[in-house]
Amino acid sequence: MNTNLKISNVTKIYPGCIANDNVSLEFNSGKIYALLGENGAGKSTLVKILSGVVIPDEGKIYLNKNILKLNSPSDAKKNDIGMVFQHFNLFETLSVFENLIIDSDEQRENLKEKIDTIMKKYNFSVDLDVPVLNLSAGQKQKVEIIRCLIRSPKVLIMDEPTSVLTEQETSELFLSLKKFSEEGILIIYITHKLKEVMQLCDEVAVMRRGKLVSVSQINNENIESLANKMVGQDLKTIKKKKENTSSEQLIKITNLNFKSEDPFETNLVDINFSLNRGECLGIAGISGNGQSELFQVLSGEIISNKNSIEFNKNFIGDLNPQERREYLMAFSPEDRLEQAAIPQMAIFENVALNNFKSSNFFNNGLINESKIKEHSKKIISEFNVNTDNIDLKSQFLSGGNLQKLIIGRELITSPDLLICFNPTWGLDVGAINYIHETLIKINEQNKSIILISTDTDELLKLSDKISVIHRGKLSKIMNAEDVTSEKLGILMGGGN
Amino acid sequence: MIIDINFVGLIIASIMASAVPLILASCGELITERSGVLNLGVEGMMIIGAISGFALMTVTGSLIIAVFGAMLAGVLISTIFAFLTQTLITNHVATGLALTIFGIGISAMIGKNFVGIPGKEFPVLFEGLKDTIPLLSPILFGHSIVFYFAFALPFITSYFLKKTKVGLIVRAVGDSPESASNQGINVRLVRYVCILYGGAMCGLGGAYLSMIYTPQWIENMTGGRGWIALALVVFSTWNPIKILIGAMIFGGLTIIQFHMQAIGVRIPVQFLTALPYIVTIIVLVVISRDSRKIRLSTPSSLGKSFHKNN
Repeated sequence: MNTNLKISNVTKIYPGCIANDNVSLEFNSGKIYALLGENGAGKSTLVKILSGVVIPDEGKIYLNKNILKLNSPSDAKKNDIGMVFQHFNLFETLSVFENLIIDSDEQRENLKEKIDTIMKKYNFSVDLDVPVLNLSAGQKQKVEIIRCLIRSPKVLIMDEPTSVLTEQETSELFLSLKKFSEEGILIIYITHKLKEVMQLCDEVAVMRRGKLVSVSQINNENIESLANKMVGQDLKTIKKKKENTSSEQLIKITNLNFKSEDPFETNLVDINFSLNRGECLGIAGISGNGQSELFQVLSGEIISNKNSIEFNKNFIGDLNPQERREYLMAFSPEDRLEQAAIPQMAIFENVALNNFKSSNFFNNGLINESKIKEHSKKIISEFNVNTDNIDLKSQFLSGGNLQKLIIGRELITSPDLLICFNPTWGLDVGAINYIHETLIKINEQNKSIILISTDTDELLKLSDKISVIHRGKLSKIMNAEDVTSEKLGILMGGGN
Repeated sequence: MIIDINFVGLIIASIMASAVPLILASCGELITERSGVLNLGVEGMMIIGAISGFALMTVTGSLIIAVFGAMLAGVLISTIFAFLTQTLITNHVATGLALTIFGIGISAMIGKNFVGIPGKEFPVLFEGLKDTIPLLSPILFGHSIVFYFAFALPFITSYFLKKTKVGLIVRAVGDSPESASNQGINVRLVRYVCILYGGAMCGLGGAYLSMIYTPQWIENMTGGRGWIALALVVFSTWNPIKILIGAMIFGGLTIIQFHMQAIGVRIPVQFLTALPYIVTIIVLVVISRDSRKIRLSTPSSLGKSFHKNN
């Protein structure tokens, strides 16, 4: 049976921003549609409207020519629209089966049978009795997909599904999606990754600043044309110049171990590596394999054995982050609003936070506001932070601007080593480009970077050396030129 | 010294009786907390239940009206809490503390006219069987209906949470209200119901004190039992069966230390009085050490306001 989904003149206005501006789109089953756009382009809002989470101010939605009333998520479910959100809608402490039965009206045995059939048919294997928090991201996503399939949906919407997956998991997902599509499920695939659109989809709709920019067949597009439509300007692509880096060693990690008491953290086992000046070491891995523990150990949030970290010929393993900063290390943690900045404090206050020792900032224990503000203005102009109000609370900065501010705050002290963890996570193409340029510039100034990231493309672009972390163990350090994303994918999955 | 075996039975029965209000209030609060709501007003709701039960009993003469009236009073006062925290999105901790202060104050005000009035005798069940089995008879028979209900409640609660769909929904809401809302579950409604249920159980626990355990009204007669009930919920790691164990230890030590004081054991009184609190907490901490199980049974959203944004 054919399914036709039509969005007609949908508008949604939030205070201060038009999320969807008169958007009209039509989808037919049998094809896979891509909805492409930067962060804040309005694709998430559109998808939330289709799944009943957000109610549009204007406009109508038709399924097979019938008007749909989508006032709540259960309305979407009733009308056979299934949705897999970017941030999983799972209950971590409940078992997989409990997660699946909670919104099902079926008897336990019937449901179990149904799940078994689905898992056999699509070659999924998930243990139904373990709590969801023990699953990998890929498995969690499978649970979400199974949850949709139980209701035999006509429409399946996937919101940025690959952001947490490995290369292999991604290709598995694509195979499943193609199978669903062949079986007549209409698939709408939301992403900002151009490569995936080219790989998977038949038609692509591009959104920018709430407006629909273009709808086209994938055969008529290529990565550059889509990127330009998405950003609305010609993107210059940057490449790292491969120069002869110095052979002076900057940091050396020897037999670093970390054993956590929390069973949901990962233990680090025998970490060994060294890094020269002017080099960038990329550490790849699926999230949850010890990256955040490694970052904390390197930054001094977790203190380790004094001799395990040698930095600039000093042993600093037992120092805290503040003391390590004095040896010219700098840190950009993963969670910008939780770890790197304090959301309720003003920009200039956040700038002062990593610099308690600077005599300029504090006089006899009192805050020297004018000095700090002067310093903040310098960061804002040098690092292209798009605001002129340094009294603004940092929570009101966009992700990209906040990341620029954080990186700027760390770099303005000209450190020898910057350790960053997922620095471009969730940012749009423009901001990513800027951060990448900045990181390349640091290397060119003969300073070093340790880049812990889950984005393989980013790692291949920026790193000189690459290693993969899997279950708390580092693979051997490889030269970036000899590494392909396929090879990284295998190592990330625990292979050889 | 010859110890009469029936006397031992009587002591155990009195320990169990003293555990009843704790079990009732804790099991009620457990459901509230499992849905992600931290209601620190347990003491306030209990004392409201105590005065309402006693006052209704004195005024109407009907025990049934009094018991259900006390539960209703608990529901009413918890409605205030529910409205504030769920509809007006106020802070759970501050609102709960205010509820306790409010409850203690208003119960003292209503209770002025009921001080010194003797209570009524509450009917007991299976009294005829009291002398049939040595040791067990005094434990099993001759108690009020509320007593039996209280000892069944932890098992009912456990079954409800683990085996029923509604229990699953309560746990889901406590784990992630955002996900639950996206699944089409009405988070606010679930939390309202859980808060009101907690209020009813606390009201019943209070009524047990003023109508059955010590049938009279004394100002502030809950004497901190609400706080103990709250502690039991946390230290049992939200497990109803462990609440039962904790309440029994607490009740047991309270009774035993009374007897020790009466006999004149040479231990400072202050230490004896503190003993039930210390030992209960130590025992519960020791039996609830498995951090994996703690993680799985702790409601992740506990005490956090849920604001559905659109």
